[in-house]
Amino acid sequence: MLEIQNLHAAYGKVEVLHGISLEVPKGKVVTLIGSNGAGKTTTMRAISGMIKPASGRLSLNGIDITGMSSNKIARSGLAHSPEGRRVFATLSVTDNLLLGAFPRLTFGRPRGDVEGDLKRIFDLFPRLKERENQLAGTLSGGEQQMLAMGRALMLNPDVLLLDEPSMGLAPLLVEEVFRIIRELKSRGITMLLVEQFAAAALNVADYGYVLENGHISVHGPAEQLKNDPAVREAYLGAAH
Amino acid sequence: MEILAQLIVSGIALGMIYAVIAFGYQLTFATSSTLNFGQGEALMLGALVGLSLVGYMNYWLMIPLVLIFGAMQGVFVERVAVLPALKTKSEFGWIMTTISLAIIFKNVAENIWGRDDLTFPSPLPTSPLQFFGIRVLPMEILVVFGALAIMLAVEIFNRKSIYGKAVVATSNDRDAAGLMGINTGMVITFSYALSSMTAAFAGVLVAPLTLTGATMGVVLGLKAFAVAIIGGLNSGMGVIVGGLLLGIAETTTGYYISTGYKDVPGLFLLLLVLAIKPAGMFGKSVIKKV
Repeated sequence: MLEIQNLHAAYGKVEVLHGISLEVPKGKVVTLIGSNGAGKTTTMRAISGMIKPASGRLSLNGIDITGMSSNKIARSGLAHSPEGRRVFATLSVTDNLLLGAFPRLTFGRPRGDVEGDLKRIFDLFPRLKERENQLAGTLSGGEQQMLAMGRALMLNPDVLLLDEPSMGLAPLLVEEVFRIIRELKSRGITMLLVEQFAAAALNVADYGYVLENGHISVHGPAEQLKNDPAVREAYLGAAH
Repeated sequence: MEILAQLIVSGIALGMIYAVIAFGYQLTFATSSTLNFGQGEALMLGALVGLSLVGYMNYWLMIPLVLIFGAMQGVFVERVAVLPALKTKSEFGWIMTTISLAIIFKNVAENIWGRDDLTFPSPLPTSPLQFFGIRVLPMEILVVFGALAIMLAVEIFNRKSIYGKAVVATSNDRDAAGLMGINTGMVITFSYALSSMTAAFAGVLVAPLTLTGATMGVVLGLKAFAVAIIGGLNSGMGVIVGGLLLGIAETTTGYYISTGYKDVPGLFLLLLVLAIKPAGMFGKSVIKKV
């Protein structure tokens, strides 16, 4: 499980996160919601080591990962499907997926059944199977999102970070993304989900945190947040 | 006609050397967007170390040792000149540092091997073979196939092995590659090792055909840089075509016009490419997101 205590992060001299604490217990789905610019992606980037936290403590399965480089954090069992998908455009779909399992294929993570997992990813995302030899750069946005998620899953992670998996997708594909998140949840995968569709995110999550200007303003079980008048007003659309 | 064919054949051997050095520029540019402006010096050091080694062993045994030396030299360049610049996020610091190191290497070589040009004993017979009246040195054939072989080997490594794919992933998106558990810093160091290794290999290939000495790398490195720009810094095909064009342009101009003008068509081509298609003849223009 993932534990974050009093995380501060800054871009240059501008502090963006002013002390965030959150917890992602094993087997649970936790969502982080908030408006644009609240610091959701920055939180994700600080957790996975893409940026160095200014202070605070991050621990994964009880091991301190604060200040580690992103590749070491990945080897410790944290997979991050980043905002904007960031697939490897000039590599094939299969190669992208295999790179997700890089620590398992080289060193740092138990190898397990990489071939079997690849097959299972293709079962979960049949569209990727159809395009296994195609270059990732030629996929549609929805397919790239599936690939980014599949690639992160190939690590066999202890914790999976999903940053805006529905961003820029057509409504049908957004539904498909949430169907997959629910499927992953039923398989017991521990997830931290950042989403713009707060209502959908709270529907799938067990627990939620609301991020406002770099602070956690409210947190609680997802059911409770859904019924919180302030949260409804700000993020779920008061009319509903 | 026979003369023209002869000039083209000689141009091809020369062009393939340019292509290999240019290929080395591409290797580091792909992973780190930096270049070793001492690529010519890496070639020169490879040739001179090879020359010293052939005193003790035969040419073929010497090649793997020179490859190892080249790789170590590349790691040294990356650690000393490039890594500090990348760490401080200095956009252009690496240009000055790699040029400085190149000058230092040249001076060190002058101190060790002297300022005079040396002759590199040819491992193959020096009498030319005749094909339809065209004379080809066995060493020229070795240059062409050796150059193709090393480029092909790197390409196969990149496509087939998981470590090679990690290199390609790093070239695609360094941050995302880090998220895959790839130590991208190591990948950049590795690309420098590989880059200098190919240059050192080019050095021992070309040395028996030319004069070997501390200054041999300056012009070769510069012309190969032109080839990398002409062909495109991200196109494998581009450096071969660019290298051959430049090589053939040089030999033909040297014969039909004057050896004094032999570098003109290449530089003219460089200007033309920069004016019309700055990404290179085969280069893909990359739109940098900000």
